[in-house]
Amino acid sequence: MSDTAEIKHRIKSVNDTHQITKAMELISVAKMRKALEKHAYNAAYFETVRYTIKDILQHSTDIRHKYIDHRPNNRTAYIVIAGDKGLAGAFNNNVLNLAWKHMQERPVHYVITIGQMARAFFESRQQPVDLEFTHSVTNPTLHDARGIMRDILELYDRNLMDEVIVVYTRMNSSVSQTPEMVRLLPIMASDIKSDFKSSFTGEILYDPSPKEVLNVLVPQYLVGMIYSTLIHSFASEHAARMMAMSSANKNADKMLETLNLEYNRSRQSAITTELLDLASGRFASQN
Amino acid sequence: MSKFLLEIITPEKQFFKGEVESINIPSLGGACTIMAGHQPMVFATEPGMITIVEEGRTREAFMSEGFIEVRPDETIAFSEAVEWPEDIDERRAKEAKERAEEMLRRNRSAAEYKLNRIALQRAFARLRVKHHGDAGWKDE
Repeated sequence: MSDTAEIKHRIKSVNDTHQITKAMELISVAKMRKALEKHAYNAAYFETVRYTIKDILQHSTDIRHKYIDHRPNNRTAYIVIAGDKGLAGAFNNNVLNLAWKHMQERPVHYVITIGQMARAFFESRQQPVDLEFTHSVTNPTLHDARGIMRDILELYDRNLMDEVIVVYTRMNSSVSQTPEMVRLLPIMASDIKSDFKSSFTGEILYDPSPKEVLNVLVPQYLVGMIYSTLIHSFASEHAARMMAMSSANKNADKMLETLNLEYNRSRQSAITTELLDLASGRFASQN
Repeated sequence: MSKFLLEIITPEKQFFKGEVESINIPSLGGACTIMAGHQPMVFATEPGMITIVEEGRTREAFMSEGFIEVRPDETIAFSEAVEWPEDIDERRAKEAKERAEEMLRRNRSAAEYKLNRIALQRAFARLRVKHHGDAGWKDE
C-alpha cells in the first residue's frame, strides 16, 4: 500500500484538475447557449434570403450571373473552420480529416483556414495555407462574416478559383455534431436547403428584374451562409468541449472515490499498526 | 383606407411590425409606394429613405440596400440596416461620406468604384433621413 502522504498528494492534484474541467464545462455551456440565441435572431432573416434566391433560380431558367454560372475548370478553394483550442473531444479532428480527405481528390486546391487548430493541422501536413482569418472563431459576428465574404468574392472575381466549399461542423443538438461540406460558389438551387415554407406559392414578379434582385441577394446570401457556418462551428466546438469535460468530470469523480478509499484504508492500517505497537510494548513492559 | 401587415427585419432584430396603410421604398427601378392589395412582387432596393404611413401618420426611416417581398398576406422588408432618424449617428455618417468621397476620387477598380458608390449612397441617405425626418410620428 502506498504512503498516505503520496495518496493525499494525488487526491489534491486530481481535485485541481477536476475544478478546471468543471469550470470549462460551465463556460462551454454558457457560450454555446449564447451563440445559439444569437443565431436564432439571424436565422429568420437569412432563411428568407435563401428561400428567395432558390425561388428565383427555380423559376427563371434563362438567368445568367457570374456567381451562378459554372466555370469550366476544377480549381477548388476550401474554407475550413475549426477551433482555436483543443480539449474538445474529436471536434477538430473530425472536421479537419473530412476536409483533408476531400482535398486529396482535387488536383488544384486552395486552403483558407479559420481557427488556429486548422492552420496547425495543414502546416503539419506540409499543405500551404493560402489565406487565414483569425479572431472570427472565438466570437463570430456578422461583421466578421462580411469581411470574409468580401475577401472571398474578390478572389473569386479575379478568377483564381472555380468553386468554393466550406467545411464546418454542423450542430444537430448538444450531443450530436457532424462535420459537413457546403458549396458556397457557384450558387446552385440544389445546394440550397430551405425548410422555409412561404404562405404564397404563386408566381412572384421581380422588380426591376430577377437579375437585379439577385445582385442584391447574392452578397447577403453569402454573408448569411458564412455567418451560420461560423456559428454552427462555434456552438459545435463548445458542445463537444462540454461533452469532453463532463466525461472528464465523471472520471475525476471516480478517481477521487477510489483514491479516498485507498487513503482511508492506508490511514486506518497505519493507526492499527501504531496501536498494535503500543499495546505490545505495554504488554512487554508489564511482564 | 385599407391596411396590410408590414414587417421590417434586419439580421439583428425585428425593426417594425404593424398594420400600415402604405410604405414608400427606394426601389432600384425608382421610388415606389406599396399599398394594400398590391400584386405579389419582390423589389430590390438601394440605400435610401422609407416612409411608412400608419393610421394617417407618417414616419421616415433609413434603409440600407435590401429587398422587399410583397405577399398577399403580408409584406416583409429585409435589409442589413434600418434606422429611425433619432438612432442615426450623424457624425459616423458624415465620416463615412467623406471616406467614400475620398475613395471615389482615387477611383481604382470597377468593383471598388461600385462599393464606394454604394457606401456614399448609404451615407447620403442617412444624413438626409436624419435632417428631414423628425423623431416620432407626424400627422399628415
